[in-house]
Amino acid sequence: MSTTGAQEIAQPDEALEYLELGEAGVTARSPLALFWRRIRKDRVAMVSLGFVILLILVAIFAPLIVSILGLPGPYKQDLKLLGPFGEPTGPTSANPLGVDNLGRDILSRVIYGSRVSLMVGLIGAFIATTIGVTVGLMAGFYRGWTDTLISRAMDVILSIPLLLLGLGVGAACSVKGCLGGLIEPGMPVIIFLIAFGAWPFVARIVRGLVLSMREREFVEASRALGASDARIMFREILPNLTAPIIVYASLLIPTAIGIEAALSFLGIGIRPPTASWGQMIADATPIFSSAWWYFTFPGLALLLTVLAFNLLGDGLQDALSPRNAR
Amino acid sequence: MRWLRPIGALALVAAFGLLLAACGSSGGSSSSTSSESSVPTVAGFKSPTNEKLSCVTKGGTLNVLQENDFEHLDPGIAYYSTDYMVVFATQRPLYSNKPNTASEPTADMAAGPPEISSNNEEIKIKIREGVHFSPPVNREVTSEDVAYAIDRGANPNVANPYFQSYFSAIEGAEKATGGPIPGVKTPNKHELVIKLDQPQGQIVADALVLPLTAAVPKEYAEKFDKNKPSNYGSYQVATGPYMLKNNAEGKVLGIGYIPGKSATLIRNPNWKASTDYRPACLNEINIKIGGTGTVLAEQVLNSTNDVLAEGVPSSVLKTAATQHKEQLELSPGGGMHYIGVNNKVGPFKNEDLRKAFWAALNKEALNKLAGGKLVTINATHWIYPTISGFEQAGGLKGPSGVDYNEHPEGDQKLAEEYVKKAGYPSGKYTGGEQISIVAANGPPAKERAEVINETLKNLGFNTKLSLEETATMYGKYCNVPKEEITVCPSVGWIADFADAQTVLNITFNGKYINATGNVNWSQANNPEINAAMDKAVTISGRSARATAWAEADKKIVEHALAIPIEWDNQPNLEGTGVNGVGQLWNIGSWDYAWTSLK
Repeated sequence: MSTTGAQEIAQPDEALEYLELGEAGVTARSPLALFWRRIRKDRVAMVSLGFVILLILVAIFAPLIVSILGLPGPYKQDLKLLGPFGEPTGPTSANPLGVDNLGRDILSRVIYGSRVSLMVGLIGAFIATTIGVTVGLMAGFYRGWTDTLISRAMDVILSIPLLLLGLGVGAACSVKGCLGGLIEPGMPVIIFLIAFGAWPFVARIVRGLVLSMREREFVEASRALGASDARIMFREILPNLTAPIIVYASLLIPTAIGIEAALSFLGIGIRPPTASWGQMIADATPIFSSAWWYFTFPGLALLLTVLAFNLLGDGLQDALSPRNAR
Repeated sequence: MRWLRPIGALALVAAFGLLLAACGSSGGSSSSTSSESSVPTVAGFKSPTNEKLSCVTKGGTLNVLQENDFEHLDPGIAYYSTDYMVVFATQRPLYSNKPNTASEPTADMAAGPPEISSNNEEIKIKIREGVHFSPPVNREVTSEDVAYAIDRGANPNVANPYFQSYFSAIEGAEKATGGPIPGVKTPNKHELVIKLDQPQGQIVADALVLPLTAAVPKEYAEKFDKNKPSNYGSYQVATGPYMLKNNAEGKVLGIGYIPGKSATLIRNPNWKASTDYRPACLNEINIKIGGTGTVLAEQVLNSTNDVLAEGVPSSVLKTAATQHKEQLELSPGGGMHYIGVNNKVGPFKNEDLRKAFWAALNKEALNKLAGGKLVTINATHWIYPTISGFEQAGGLKGPSGVDYNEHPEGDQKLAEEYVKKAGYPSGKYTGGEQISIVAANGPPAKERAEVINETLKNLGFNTKLSLEETATMYGKYCNVPKEEITVCPSVGWIADFADAQTVLNITFNGKYINATGNVNWSQANNPEINAAMDKAVTISGRSARATAWAEADKKIVEHALAIPIEWDNQPNLEGTGVNGVGQLWNIGSWDYAWTSLK
């Protein structure tokens, strides 16, 4: 939505959406109100939003929830809960989702695992979006050599297979770390990899949008008024990109969560004993036939989280760009 | 000096039977004695000691499912249990073991037992007549072929991994580079004389079971041995009942062995049953390489003529043991696993802290993680069942009077007492130094590492746990002293043959700490123990050697140079139509020369 241009109304009935009848007569709805009105009607998006909020609360209050439920902590090993062949035992009243191959409560670890997934997803997406938006703005606005250099850099980064890069970093920097211990497998490296691999996607989209927007009248007007390049980019153009940026960032979150799970599955992500859904799935895979619960519940948690963010992203897209939804 | 006489073996069996009766059993399985001395077996399951060794049927094709590829099939280089399964089916070292023995080798390429001189510095061996190489060489094997095989051990293009450990006492071996070794003499076509410059006749004679001593025809092989590395393995000929399929020129690579994909063993047309003690029941053995252990194991369980080459994954073990018992064989003497703790660098330089670690460890839990009592025996010292000296070293219970060795379920209180003795009055380590733990990342090593990590944390240590591929764990970290890894919890060892020197010397003697490829993982360098082992190396006579090495083993326990976890029972899986025969030696793997179809 432009802050300086007139709102475009394609159909007569859309006009009603933007107006609200109050005591002072008919007034225009604020962009936030419009957004909320639209997304409220999308039941799938609302359910997804509810799930995401619930997930965030679970992650924040994980210790309290585990305590209230009377579960053992996520790191508490109880090898007496393993069978005579070392196989984990299934759901019981004491361990509602069963235990893993070290006798640790799976529900407790799934709850704590949400912290890892959300932190990686949110922080990774935030950093990627910030870098991508800044770089995309510059590439699209300045064009010429700036655009060429940035675009080629994006091409190079996009051609790097992220998982292989992660494997390489994990292998090279595992025990003693690299650069004096600065790089070690774990959450910082995963967030770095996600941000490193994802920012070009954001930058490309932003660049394309900026290329079309820089020729618009309001940009010309700002330039004529003597606004600096930075002001034009960040105060005139960027607000018009809010909707697509929000949508894309929200879709980046489940991608980041999936990448974290994949890296942890490959053994180069979160280190044990920290609970991570990807690592739990990796540990559970060889014993799926005898311990289905160990694979199923972290897998379901991951599936539902990624699905919720994807559906929420779709809902945001429809709510922020109703024309595209039609 | 002669091999251990049968009457001696029976006496040991009787003594061990009494010992086991006193130990008792638990968990639905029980240990019992068998014809091989000091071998605990699991009641109700097949083992190499109670299998039918004669052919059930003659002929047929065995399908082998093997997850990992071979490392080397050249008999002069092979040093891996999976490689041995093929090498010992295709080659005839001077001596070899029947499947149900580990300490009484049978003359194979040799015509009789070795004659060791009274000063322990000369060994005479008669070479069996009438044994021929497979095509394309075809001719009869002579003593010169065996001499060449031993000479190859010193050739850097061959780089035999154990030549220095066992054959360096041969005159001229230290300076040999692949040419004739002065101390290896062939007075005639069927006699071999090995002269030593040190009194190590017994250990060298014992080492003649290793595949390095399998005859290699010089006129055929030397052109391959000139290459760096030697590619004789890709053109090898056989003396055993089977050979790798080859073409008319002798090429095996791409025909009988396709790396990463398959290997095919066919009958050696020049092998004569009358010259061999092996029955060689099968006509062909097809080995398929690759796949995931769990999937392969499930496949074998539901098959007729398949066997699984490597051990049974713990995830399948319960199914195999409870629903397919007749298809599961458990072979004791499958080696052992232990924790290497750095005696040179870090907090475990302090012996009391090592003892504290040992006391705190719940070894029963660690063994449960590996599959439980069917496949693990709590290790109380290092000379494991089937190795000479096991009983003298304390047998199942271990040496007496070692309190930290008496609580396999872990004793936190005792552990804290040792921490206090180490100079930390609170009973928790407060030194602050972070300790590095590098473990293998596959099950059960990964799970064990996490338990060990928690144990150390509970003692107050600040730990950093890293999980690596096994090859990386060994090659880049645990085998490299300068990496200064504090704890290597996933190390394991299998004896090269049934003499305790092969278990203890290279792994605990301070003079074998190498800059790379180091297997003295604890970097143990206790002068008293070093001296005891150096003396034991020179002792001749099985019984005397067993006693001497048992004393060294006791000292290793008393100083807690490392921490033993388990002695392995190797689980093997066969299809319903296979009469698989496992090897009591070589970690219990299938012996293709004895296996038959039903």
